[in-house]
Amino acid sequence: MGKIKKKGVSGQAKNFITRTQAVRKLQISLPDFRKLCIWKGIYPREPRNKKKASKSSTASTTFYYTKDIQYLLHEPLLQKFREQKALEKKISKALGRGDAHDAQRLERNASRPEKTGKTKYTLDHVIRERYPTFIDALRDLDDCLSMLFLFANLPSTPTVPAKMIARCERLCLEFEHYLIVSNSLRKSFLSIKGIYYQATIQGQDILWLVPYKFNQRITGDVDFRIMGTFVEFYQTLLGFVNFRLYTSIGLVYPPKFDKSRDDQGAELGAFSLEGNGVGAIEQPKQITNGDSAKPDPKLQAEIDKLMSQLNEPEKEPPTSQTLGENEEDEEEQPTDTIDKFEPAAPGGDILLQPSYSATDPSTLFSNFTFFLSRETPRQPLEFILRAFGCKRIGWDAVLGEGAYTHNELDPAITHQVVDRPPIQVVNDDDMDEDNQTAQKLKAGTRVPGRIYIQPQWVWDSVNDEELKRPDLYAPGAQLPPHLSPFVKKVRGQYDPSAPLNEQEREDEELEADSDMDEEEDVSEEDNMAVQKPKLLIGDEVDATAEGMDVAGSEEDDSSANEDADSFGGFSDAEEEEDEATSTALQRQRELEAELTGVALEEKEIDPRAKAKADARKKAAKRAKEEDEELERAKMMMSRKKRKIMEKMVYSNKKKDAEAELLRVKRRKIEKSGKAAPRD
Amino acid sequence: MAPTTTDRKRKAVTRDTPEISDVESDAEFGDGLLEGILSQSEDSDDGSDQDSEEDEDEEDDELGEINALDSDGIPSDGPENEAEETNGGLNKSNGTTANPLRQLASPSTLEDDDKPNYTITTDANGGERYVYEEIDPVYDSDDSDAPATTNTIGNIPLTFYDSYPHIGYDINGKKIMRPAKGEALDALLDSIDVPRGWTGLTDPATGKPLNLSQDELEILRRIQTNELPEEGYDPYPATIEYFTGIEEIMPLSAAPEPKRRFLPSKHEAKRIMKIVRAIREGRILPYKPPQEQEEEEEAIHYDIWQDEQSRPDNIMNIPAPKMAPPGYDLSYNPPPEYLPTKAEKQAWESADPEDREKEYLPTGHDSLRKVPGYEMFIKERFERSLDLYLAPRVRKNRLNIDPASLLPKLPRPEELKPFPTVCSTVFRGHEGRVRSLAIDPLGIWLATGGDDGTVRVWELLTGRQIWSAKIGDDEAVNVVRWRPGKDALILSAAAGEDIYLLVPPVTDPETEVTSRDLLDAGFSYATNATQALTANGARKEPVAKWSRPGSRLEDEGVLIKITVRTTVKVISWHRRGDFFSTVSPTAQKSAVAIHTLSKHLTQIPFRRLPGIPQTVQFHPSRPLFFVATQRTIRSYDLQKQELVKIIQPGARWISSFDIHPGGDNLIVGSYDRRLLWHDLDLSTRPYKTMRFHSKAIRAVKYHKGGFPLFADASDDGSLQIFHGKVVSDMMENATIVPVKVLKGHKVKSALGVMDVDWHPREPWLVSAGADGTCRLWM
Repeated sequence: MGKIKKKGVSGQAKNFITRTQAVRKLQISLPDFRKLCIWKGIYPREPRNKKKASKSSTASTTFYYTKDIQYLLHEPLLQKFREQKALEKKISKALGRGDAHDAQRLERNASRPEKTGKTKYTLDHVIRERYPTFIDALRDLDDCLSMLFLFANLPSTPTVPAKMIARCERLCLEFEHYLIVSNSLRKSFLSIKGIYYQATIQGQDILWLVPYKFNQRITGDVDFRIMGTFVEFYQTLLGFVNFRLYTSIGLVYPPKFDKSRDDQGAELGAFSLEGNGVGAIEQPKQITNGDSAKPDPKLQAEIDKLMSQLNEPEKEPPTSQTLGENEEDEEEQPTDTIDKFEPAAPGGDILLQPSYSATDPSTLFSNFTFFLSRETPRQPLEFILRAFGCKRIGWDAVLGEGAYTHNELDPAITHQVVDRPPIQVVNDDDMDEDNQTAQKLKAGTRVPGRIYIQPQWVWDSVNDEELKRPDLYAPGAQLPPHLSPFVKKVRGQYDPSAPLNEQEREDEELEADSDMDEEEDVSEEDNMAVQKPKLLIGDEVDATAEGMDVAGSEEDDSSANEDADSFGGFSDAEEEEDEATSTALQRQRELEAELTGVALEEKEIDPRAKAKADARKKAAKRAKEEDEELERAKMMMSRKKRKIMEKMVYSNKKKDAEAELLRVKRRKIEKSGKAAPRD
Repeated sequence: MAPTTTDRKRKAVTRDTPEISDVESDAEFGDGLLEGILSQSEDSDDGSDQDSEEDEDEEDDELGEINALDSDGIPSDGPENEAEETNGGLNKSNGTTANPLRQLASPSTLEDDDKPNYTITTDANGGERYVYEEIDPVYDSDDSDAPATTNTIGNIPLTFYDSYPHIGYDINGKKIMRPAKGEALDALLDSIDVPRGWTGLTDPATGKPLNLSQDELEILRRIQTNELPEEGYDPYPATIEYFTGIEEIMPLSAAPEPKRRFLPSKHEAKRIMKIVRAIREGRILPYKPPQEQEEEEEAIHYDIWQDEQSRPDNIMNIPAPKMAPPGYDLSYNPPPEYLPTKAEKQAWESADPEDREKEYLPTGHDSLRKVPGYEMFIKERFERSLDLYLAPRVRKNRLNIDPASLLPKLPRPEELKPFPTVCSTVFRGHEGRVRSLAIDPLGIWLATGGDDGTVRVWELLTGRQIWSAKIGDDEAVNVVRWRPGKDALILSAAAGEDIYLLVPPVTDPETEVTSRDLLDAGFSYATNATQALTANGARKEPVAKWSRPGSRLEDEGVLIKITVRTTVKVISWHRRGDFFSTVSPTAQKSAVAIHTLSKHLTQIPFRRLPGIPQTVQFHPSRPLFFVATQRTIRSYDLQKQELVKIIQPGARWISSFDIHPGGDNLIVGSYDRRLLWHDLDLSTRPYKTMRFHSKAIRAVKYHKGGFPLFADASDDGSLQIFHGKVVSDMMENATIVPVKVLKGHKVKSALGVMDVDWHPREPWLVSAGADGTCRLWM
């Protein structure tokens, strides 16, 4: 017989200690312990057997790994904390004695990071310990960036000193500069929370969230001391990461920071990067007349439009041509790239392929000159455009210093980002004439020869790694949905970008139809939809696309004419109105045609309905059989296994139900949209 | 103390006494009184003193001898003589008259002293009484040592008495005579003996010779030689400094140095004035503004990962999970299907923030400028930081598998076919419940028995009733069973206490004849058996009576009637068709009976049973006999007549059981809705427990003709068909698959299906219902 083991001396009882025990062992206060935990990355654990770990005490507590706490015992910071505590005691004693002079002298020694942003200690060794390799640090950069970008946008309060904010801002801008120079930004997403960015550095995907430039609402239940502790650590971390990143691409860190420019709101422009002997990075060149060097963007756009129009019948994606002739040349050549495998039939597993982007992110916007209207968010736009190769960005003087140009009429501008509703200018021919002659730039006026787009165009182009059709993103246009680039497509989950009929179950439509039939009285239109919904959807898409293209071509023609003549005021409003009326007419005609068509087809419904009923019956039978089979199989399982399976089935069903709900909604929208489609 | 020794010593002392007295104290030579005192003291002295004195005596003797040798050449015979001489000499020199007297008197005084100091009187009782003399308590009354003050003249020079023969008066006023001063004698004595320290001087105070001790002589010598008189005296000792010039750390007084002692330094005053002037002129700032020093010094950055070394991943290190990437519904302009409907929106808003599935509501904005700030941004970031350092982390393995893969791999129902699926024939005719049914070994006929007391035989496929006989007048037919074997067609049925053996006239005549012969063959044995019983002299009632049922029934084909003591509920045939066993649960002893057809013999195998027997079965291949009581099933070896095994299905009340044709498995049905499969090789406990019925199970049956099927009948009116495949491989367990639930019987007064039986070859099933019908399922 083995030796009787004593309880509570080994195993889980020894491996875990409660927080109170830990604090006592370290002989520090709870806030100091919290700080240490945050910096050293020590977190509570969930013991496998709570009862054993708590030595059968029933109170619910948090447990720490004993070795973690032992590791904290040797922490140099612990000594600093104790020194600080002793100093505080001295100060309070001096104040108690009424010895103000002494207290002041001691106070001078005390570090008051919440006031000065400076500490007596450094966290360098902590960084090194927590992240033994640079990759480890990159892996943990998500929270760091999100936090620092948030603090860079906070107002300064007693708990958040202005110095801390300034430092956060600097670090963030420095990091952005690296992304711009190295072209590592991959994706970005405009969400209701803020703007998500994703960069890939040394193979690590880093995703962070930047709030919109608004005053943040600060609720009372947020403890800024905790956040401050994190920020302190993250600042040190990002400093070292930046240093490493800058030196890796041959730049001097820290970059030179021009305070006066920063005060004028230059932001990114307040920094000047220098090479550390390897070579300085190129600065945006001032081009006076870019026409000779580069294909005229306006002309290019026209050609593109024409091409797209020509390609329309062949259903080629028209946007792929917008990049220019050189790309066309590339397309003709045989490539040694990996071919993309598309599933021919549904049901197969999705195999991952290395994403091969035809476009280098550094060249996406490199040929363009952008101008940001004053209502657009300058900071994210400037950053994202620069990160994707744009060298010349101008903006309204209101938006701050550092622009390529503040002049909206600069002829070099190819794209203007606008985010204001088109204002109906009084339709007066005289006015038009006046506008042509007079200096324009009134509300709703356009400079010809440049593309007006809404900000979403930039983001969608970046995410799809190709320039989107600008007409879809024209000012005032109904924008296409902005989709998250971070969602991985999983089979069985709803994918809004794919057509509905591709992803729904075989009999789902039937079921949905039956539901519809039950709940709605049979109207002619519905019958139509029931008969061939897929076909109709396809037609619909085509029709709208055509309509848009037609309108676009008209615009192009006119703008070409304008180009040929002279620069002058030109109001799109009239044309847009025309466009609207024409589409409305078209719809009217379609509706009429449908009405008549229904009358013809109504007699043919009966046999089809019967076939459908049969199919439904068959499906029901099959479902019933499957259910029976499942029941039988379940009967033979052990209870434990059955429970596991039921849990899994439950979660799967929940996901399926979510996807199904979305599909149902979409089906409904598509059906009603047929009557009143979005423009 | 031994008297002899003291005596001897005393003698010796007395002899030595004069010698001692003169040798010891030269100063007392002239003092006669001393003699007596000495002798007195000697008397009172104890031994140790005497010893020491003796030693001194000897010393002095030698000394004296030496002196004698040195001083004069008078020959001497020996020390003793010498001593005597000196003694005599002394006495002469003392020369007083009193001295000899005293010496003489001294023994008498001694004797006086020895005289008792008490008087003996007679007391009142006439006894002796010692009356002691009063002791005079004066000072010195007992002091023998005090020196007697001899001369009382006081402190006057002795020269005053030069002209007198005496030198003073003693305490009694007697003249103290001048000691003898014979010059010749003295000279002789001096020549003989110069005592130590003799100076030849006379002490002027006492008039006695002044003797000086060795020490005094030494002092005199030192004085004479001009040395310091005292030996060891250091006239120049080293100085001990009680108060030194060294200043102590702790001053004697804590009072600060008084300011009056301060002398300002001129040099310092100069320097101070220099600084003051500089400050006045602004060349020196008196203090630094504190901000300046804090201002600068940017954090120093360096390549912290210069010599990076990857650390192996520790199992206890759980990195924080990353935030989930945003989905489509978080877009500022999501696809319209992601926008919540009015109802969803309302539900979200009315829900408690903690109960919401998402902390945000998808909202669509048609342009970027309309997007408001996100209110919960800081809150979310804060909660994330809380999660990072406060949330316990635990590694959880998510099972990312298809739940379908967990399902056991079952053969498809098509592969399990054939099994009965539909009701093909309904047998109607019985009034009341059909209690029992059986298909004959050939698979052509179906026999049923019911509450109406009739036994009926039907054609199985058509459902036509061929034959019927009413055997129980007012009792239900509880059980019908065919005799196994294809050679004859014999039906057994039980109604009440009677068991009937019938030969229904439905087959060809030859079979009928063989059947009748089989039944009749036992009559001759039966008579013998009864005779044997009587020969034993027991004369007890036979357990069963085999007889002819009566002509009416005989005509109908009922050939034998066996009457037992109580109602028979179960009949079970042995596979050979010669034995059958019946169970009458209410009988105590004779509940189980085994009947031998060929001998018309009934035996009671069990004297006592541990419970109420429910049903019995013969093993299909071995000589085993299974008896089911309410809780257990016992199997007995019929040859060895011993208990082999007790099977414990765990059911409360076993209703029926059946043994697999292979013989190693059995199924048990119970009234507590359980169907249990036992593997006899595996355990006495069930291998599988199936609880698919909502009511009690009445009957269970294996298919005996080669299909791996078994069925049970339940009070809920349904039959369940299972596929139970037993493989010969010992390592592999039986696969049991439920295949079909057959519903058709109606439930009447809480009873559904009463009995089931399988077709001997086909996968067909017949069932007897409480609704009065039987059904064939195929």
